[in-house]
Amino acid sequence: MSGFVLKRMGFAVFTLIAVLTIVFFIVRILPGDPAMVILGDQASQQSIDLLRARLGLDRPMIVQYYDFMAGVFVGDWGVSMVSGRPVISEILKVLPATLELTIAALILGAALGIPLGVWAAISRNTVPDYIVRLASLLGLSFPAFVSAVLLLFAFAIYLPWFPVMSSGRGTTFGARMNDLALPAINLGLIMAAYITRVSRSAMLEVLGQDYVRTAKAKGISFSAIIWRHCLRNTMIPVVTVVGLYLGILIGNSVLTEIVFNRPGLGRLIVGALNQRDYTMLQGMMVIYTLLVVVVNLLTDLTYGLIDPRIKYS
Amino acid sequence: MRDLGKTKGLLTATALGVSAAAMAATGADAQQTTLNIGMASADAGKLDPHIATTTPDKGLLHWMFNGLVRIKPGEASPAFIEPDIAISWTTSDDGLTWVFTLRDDVECHGDYGNLDAEDVVFSLNRSADPDASSFSGDYAAFESIEATGPYEVTITLSNSIPSLLGTLVPYHGGNIVCRDAVEALGMDYERTPIGTGPFMFDEYQPQQYVKLVANPEYFRGEPAIKEIYYRYIPSDASRDLAFQTGEIDMIYGRQDQTWVERIRELPGTTVAIMSPGEMSMISLNKTIPPLDDLRVRQAVAHAIDRETMVAFKGADVTLPAISVVPEGYLGYTDDVPTYEFSIEKAKALLAEAGYPDGVTLNAIHTSLPGMLSTMEAVQSLLRDADINLEIQVVEHATFHEQIRQDLSQVTHYSAARFPVADTYLTQFFHSDSIPLKPNAVTNFSHCDVADEEISAARTEPDPAKQLELWATAQQKIGEEVCAVPIYQNLQLWAWKDTLDLGFEVNGSLNLSPAITETSKFTE
Repeated sequence: MSGFVLKRMGFAVFTLIAVLTIVFFIVRILPGDPAMVILGDQASQQSIDLLRARLGLDRPMIVQYYDFMAGVFVGDWGVSMVSGRPVISEILKVLPATLELTIAALILGAALGIPLGVWAAISRNTVPDYIVRLASLLGLSFPAFVSAVLLLFAFAIYLPWFPVMSSGRGTTFGARMNDLALPAINLGLIMAAYITRVSRSAMLEVLGQDYVRTAKAKGISFSAIIWRHCLRNTMIPVVTVVGLYLGILIGNSVLTEIVFNRPGLGRLIVGALNQRDYTMLQGMMVIYTLLVVVVNLLTDLTYGLIDPRIKYS
Repeated sequence: MRDLGKTKGLLTATALGVSAAAMAATGADAQQTTLNIGMASADAGKLDPHIATTTPDKGLLHWMFNGLVRIKPGEASPAFIEPDIAISWTTSDDGLTWVFTLRDDVECHGDYGNLDAEDVVFSLNRSADPDASSFSGDYAAFESIEATGPYEVTITLSNSIPSLLGTLVPYHGGNIVCRDAVEALGMDYERTPIGTGPFMFDEYQPQQYVKLVANPEYFRGEPAIKEIYYRYIPSDASRDLAFQTGEIDMIYGRQDQTWVERIRELPGTTVAIMSPGEMSMISLNKTIPPLDDLRVRQAVAHAIDRETMVAFKGADVTLPAISVVPEGYLGYTDDVPTYEFSIEKAKALLAEAGYPDGVTLNAIHTSLPGMLSTMEAVQSLLRDADINLEIQVVEHATFHEQIRQDLSQVTHYSAARFPVADTYLTQFFHSDSIPLKPNAVTNFSHCDVADEEISAARTEPDPAKQLELWATAQQKIGEEVCAVPIYQNLQLWAWKDTLDLGFEVNGSLNLSPAITETSKFTE
């Protein structure tokens, strides 16, 4: 097992180098000059040139690339070209907020999605199945920013239960949960829609297996068949989707973060892109890549927990 | 009708909920001293007053700095310049030597001590240094800045400039920074700005807020408001909702008629429509055919209906633009050639120029929605006159780079400058400012017909003659149709009635309402 983890970590390093190389060159191919963005539209060419030199952008690209790569591996990710603050501290300040939102959405999504998917499967082609399928389709197709504004209107204005600005206020656990509620519901519902669909189809497949028929023949109660015999076997595809989607969720949280005014990686990356903050963009990519690699590794390890037949070599 | 009734019911219920929430908030903290402000921005940029240029950053720094002189709070015009750090000043007959006597009771924020002439000299030299300032060009005529006494500063100019006092107001480079703070903090200064103004920097939370606290040593007296939370709320809808629920007390508005109408409906709300406006102007590159023909440029001017454009953007939030210098700027004149809206004239001019079937023009344009909607409206007006405007939409930073590479035939630009005619005329219409030239700024039309007047006015000591030169320049540029001015978009803010700023708000150079020692909550 530890050998498996080590091997995967080795691959992760190569993935990281590849991603960073691509990102380094892509951001520099984009039109738009960070010095011009920082200094504004009245700055003289002389000021712009001086700032470019100070930011090191006048050096050959290969030299910039070497410095950047050397920095990344000793933990020096540079400072934001726009704010002048260290990239790593900027990211670490908002990372907990993104993780908090993502994990809350994931828990909510699983808590809603798995039972609904199972219910739809066992009620196949009846009214509950149609309702669940329709609801999950809506969840997949509804834009996150629209549902966010609707949630705000319903639960922050019409029923003033939650704050419009869900950040920066909560110091106690209760207040934090209150802040987190609406954004987590917004993202959680989308997550639930995915999980429902996967759980339903996985459960349908398992229900047709021989061992289920055997269990039925042995006279085991229906609920025991579902929860003890079938559910665990449906979990592999569900975990795969959750693992894949978690990476996407971290990226997709941007609209939710903007509408609910939460700090987070999504807002940070959009701001960095708009301002051509190369160093910040590069730092964000390191974090995203690491997150995706770690989530994938955790997903693989979870398979072994769910299905003891799986061996790591 | 039934739907309307339902909507009304919902609105009433919402209003009741909002009032209840507002009442609860008022009861909870009687005599409020914390001001929450919502700004349309994702995060803070560089908080160095000599570098910051964006509306959100300038708006925040506005409350933390002083200049040698300032524009009276609530106004934006240089006609309202009054003493700030300088108590008084004298000028030589030739207008080239200025002596400022400073107050001796100005304290820098934190432990950086008393502000004296050495600090002012350091600060102005820093503004003139291209390596430290975005505005060094404004100080090109400053030959020397010297401390001629502990509280006396003498500025010597190499030639007279349109508004020396204008360069000393706390707007761009005129913000006075404290020398010890800049030297002690080094690169950290742009994250922890130290000034002398009524409010001091206290805390920054990424993507959330900058917190300012009252400066107890402020030379005009300690502010009644003790804390300002300047919150970054990029979503327009969320900002408005947070204002409705009372979570924030003051918001930056959307430059949109419907926003004004909706926010005005909220009980207990003051809406401020402030100058200076950002002027939207369409520059026509007269070096690229078919725009090299004056008649084609005239046709474009005749085909754009300013009244329709003002009605489109909203009568409360826009002013029609007449001259290529925005109304309200020192030196503005409305005695310029105008091109009345006439499709027939436009078509006739095109035919005369040899384009009876019309012309096709290209424009590179930003994807910013507010500017894009204007350009799309212009595009549809031009189409009626057989002028086909092809708009290539690119992301905002790309737009700025590409128009400066002279790639756009028609350029829509929206800007506000220090309200003196020279800034607009020099940056947009002097041939030195043509893209790709060494001193390039924003002369996208390649206009060069008024160079003589613009340059002469800049150093003209006689104010009457100077006004005359600026007027002639505007007339010449109008005749040449280097650009078609469309409208001025005014700045919009709203705040609760319980917030008394302490003065009438007509404008603000820094684009945020002044918050001073006199501003307070009345409940």
